[in-house]
Amino acid sequence: MLNEFIREIKLSMGIFESNSDQTYGVLAEFSDPGALLDAARETRKAGYRHFDTHSPFPVHGMDKAMGLGQSKIGFIVFGGAIFGLALATWMQWWMGAVDYPLNISGKPFFSTEPSTPVMFEVTILFSALTAVAAMLAFNGLPRPYNPLFYSENFRRATDDSFFLHVGASDDLFDEEDTKDFLKSLGGYNIEEIKDLGEANATSD
Amino acid sequence: MADKSTSSSSLLMWLIDPVSPTGESAPGRYQFTADMRSWLFPTAFGVGLLILSLVALFTGDTQRFLFSYLIAWSFCLSIALGALFFVMVHNVTKAYWSTVLRRIAEAVAWSFPMLAILFIPIALGMYDLYHWSHAEVVDPASPEFDPIIDGKSPYLNEPFFFIRMAIYFMAWIIISYKLWTRSIASDVDHKPETNYNLRFTSAWGIPVYAVTLAFASMDLLMTLEPHWYSTIFGVYFFAGSFLGAIGLIILLTGLLQKRGGMLQQTVTTEHYHDLGKWLFALVAFWAYIATSQYMLLWYANIPETTVWYRVRLEGGWEHHATMLVLFHFVLPFLILLPRATKRYLPLLATMAGWMFVMHWFDIHWVTMPNAFLEGGFHWVDITVWLGLFGVFVGAIIYRLSRHSLVPHNDPYLQRSLEFENF
Repeated sequence: MLNEFIREIKLSMGIFESNSDQTYGVLAEFSDPGALLDAARETRKAGYRHFDTHSPFPVHGMDKAMGLGQSKIGFIVFGGAIFGLALATWMQWWMGAVDYPLNISGKPFFSTEPSTPVMFEVTILFSALTAVAAMLAFNGLPRPYNPLFYSENFRRATDDSFFLHVGASDDLFDEEDTKDFLKSLGGYNIEEIKDLGEANATSD
Repeated sequence: MADKSTSSSSLLMWLIDPVSPTGESAPGRYQFTADMRSWLFPTAFGVGLLILSLVALFTGDTQRFLFSYLIAWSFCLSIALGALFFVMVHNVTKAYWSTVLRRIAEAVAWSFPMLAILFIPIALGMYDLYHWSHAEVVDPASPEFDPIIDGKSPYLNEPFFFIRMAIYFMAWIIISYKLWTRSIASDVDHKPETNYNLRFTSAWGIPVYAVTLAFASMDLLMTLEPHWYSTIFGVYFFAGSFLGAIGLIILLTGLLQKRGGMLQQTVTTEHYHDLGKWLFALVAFWAYIATSQYMLLWYANIPETTVWYRVRLEGGWEHHATMLVLFHFVLPFLILLPRATKRYLPLLATMAGWMFVMHWFDIHWVTMPNAFLEGGFHWVDITVWLGLFGVFVGAIIYRLSRHSLVPHNDPYLQRSLEFENF
C-alpha cells in the first residue's frame, strides 16, 4: 500500500521503475525540437503514459503534447504566501509589542502601516522559496542517479540533441514493439537502457 | 501622416476622428458590423444624464456639480491616458500578442481633443474648485492671506495653470495623432516603415507622457489641497489610469465580440488571459503605490503632509478608504489570482467592470473630501460620471465604427492571431 503510493508519487515526478530483468526503458533520439514535440504527441496518442522527453532547452508546448496538464505549483505557492504573510505579521507584533517594546517617537508598538513592507517582503520571500521547492519536488529533482546516464549518447541531451524515453513500467511497453514505434515516429539511435543500479558504470 | 484624401473637413469631426472612414478596405471579418445605435445609444444616454445633472447646477449645488464634473472628467482623461500608454508600450516593445487589440486602444487614446473641449466647465469653475485660485489668499492685506499658497504662487496661478494644461494636451494630441493616423493609414496603404514610425513616436512619447501625466495629475487633483504634496501622486494616478484603460479594453472587446458578433476567431481566450494578467498586475501595482504613499506619510507624521489623509479618514470618508482597500485590492487580487478567472470571459469582464467602477471610486475619494467633509455620494456624482462617460465611450465606438477593428496590414498580425500562452 505504502510502496504503491510511493511508486505513484515517483511516477508523477517522471521516475519510472525498471522491469524485473533490469530493463529501464527505450531511448530514442530526434533531430529537432519540432520532431520531439510531434513524437511526444504521438506517443501520448498511442496510449503510452510512462514516458519523458529530454532537450537542452525548454520546448514550448511540450507540456500540452505530453498531456501533463496544468501545473499545481500555483496552489502550493499560495499556501507559502499565506504562511509568509502570517509569519511576518506575527513576527512584527511579537518583536515590536511583546518581546522588546521600544517607544519610537510615540508610535504604537505594533500597527499595520510600518509593518506592511515587512509583511509584503516576507510573503514574496516565502512564495519564491515555495515555488522553487515545489518545482524541484514535482520534477523529482535533484536526481543524481538516473539509469539513462548509462547511455553514452544521452550526454548530448544537455548539448544539441533531443530524446524521448519510454519507461519499461508502462502497460503498453514491449521491447520490440516500442522500438519499432519510436522508429516509425522518426527516432534514431534507438537503444535499450538497463538499470544496473550503480553509478559510474560507463566504460570510460 | 494622413494625406488630403483621408483627412476630415469639419472641426467637430476632426475632434472625434481626424481621418475619414476606411472601414470598407478591411477584410470582412475585421469590419465593424453593428449599426449606428451602438454609438448613438451611449452618446444619447450620456447627454441625457448630463442635462439631468444640470438641475443640480441650477438648484444651488454648483460646487458639488463642479467637483463631480472634475471627477468624471479626470476619470475619462485617465482612461484615455492609460490607453495611450497601452499603445505606446506595446509598440515600443514590439509586442505581437496585443496587435489584435491595438486598434481598440488607439481609438480610446484619440479622446484628447474632445476631452480638451470638455475641460471648459472646469476652467469656468476654477473658483469653486481650486482654493489657490482665489485672489485674496495671495493678498497680504487680506484676512484670508495664506503664506504657504503665496509661496507657491509662482507656480500655482491661473494663467500658468492654463498654459500648462495647454502644453499637456498638445503633447498628448500630437502623440496620439501620430499613432492613430499612421496606424489607420497603413490599413489603406501599408508602408514598410509604418511599424518603425509607430515605434519611434512611442519611444519619445513615453518620457514626454510620463512627465506630462505626472504634472497634470498634480495640477488637476493634488492642488485641490494646495498645502499638501506627494511626489508619488503622479504614479498613483498612472496606476489607476492604466487599470481603468485595461478594464475598458476588456469590456469593449468583450461587447464587440459577444454582443456585436465581431472579432470572431480574432481575439481569443489567450488574448483575454493576457489582458487579465495586466488587470491583475495593475491591481497589485496600484496597491503597492497607494501603500507607499500612505506608509511614508504615516511614518514621517508631519502635519502638512498628513492633512490630506486626515480629511480622508474621518467624516465618513474612512469607510470609503476601507472599501478601497477591500474592493480595489484585497478581493480583486484574490479573485484575479487563479488562471481560470483570466481565461473565463464572463468572470474577467465582471472583474474589469468592477475595477472600472473602483477606479472612479478611487478618484472620487481623492477629490471630493477637499470640499465636502462628509463622506458618501450625491446623486449628481453618479449622473455626471455616467453622463460624461457615455459621451466619451459613444465617441470611441463611433471612431471604431469608421475603421477596421484590427490593424489588418500589420506584419505582426498573424503572430498575434496565433498567440498562445505557455
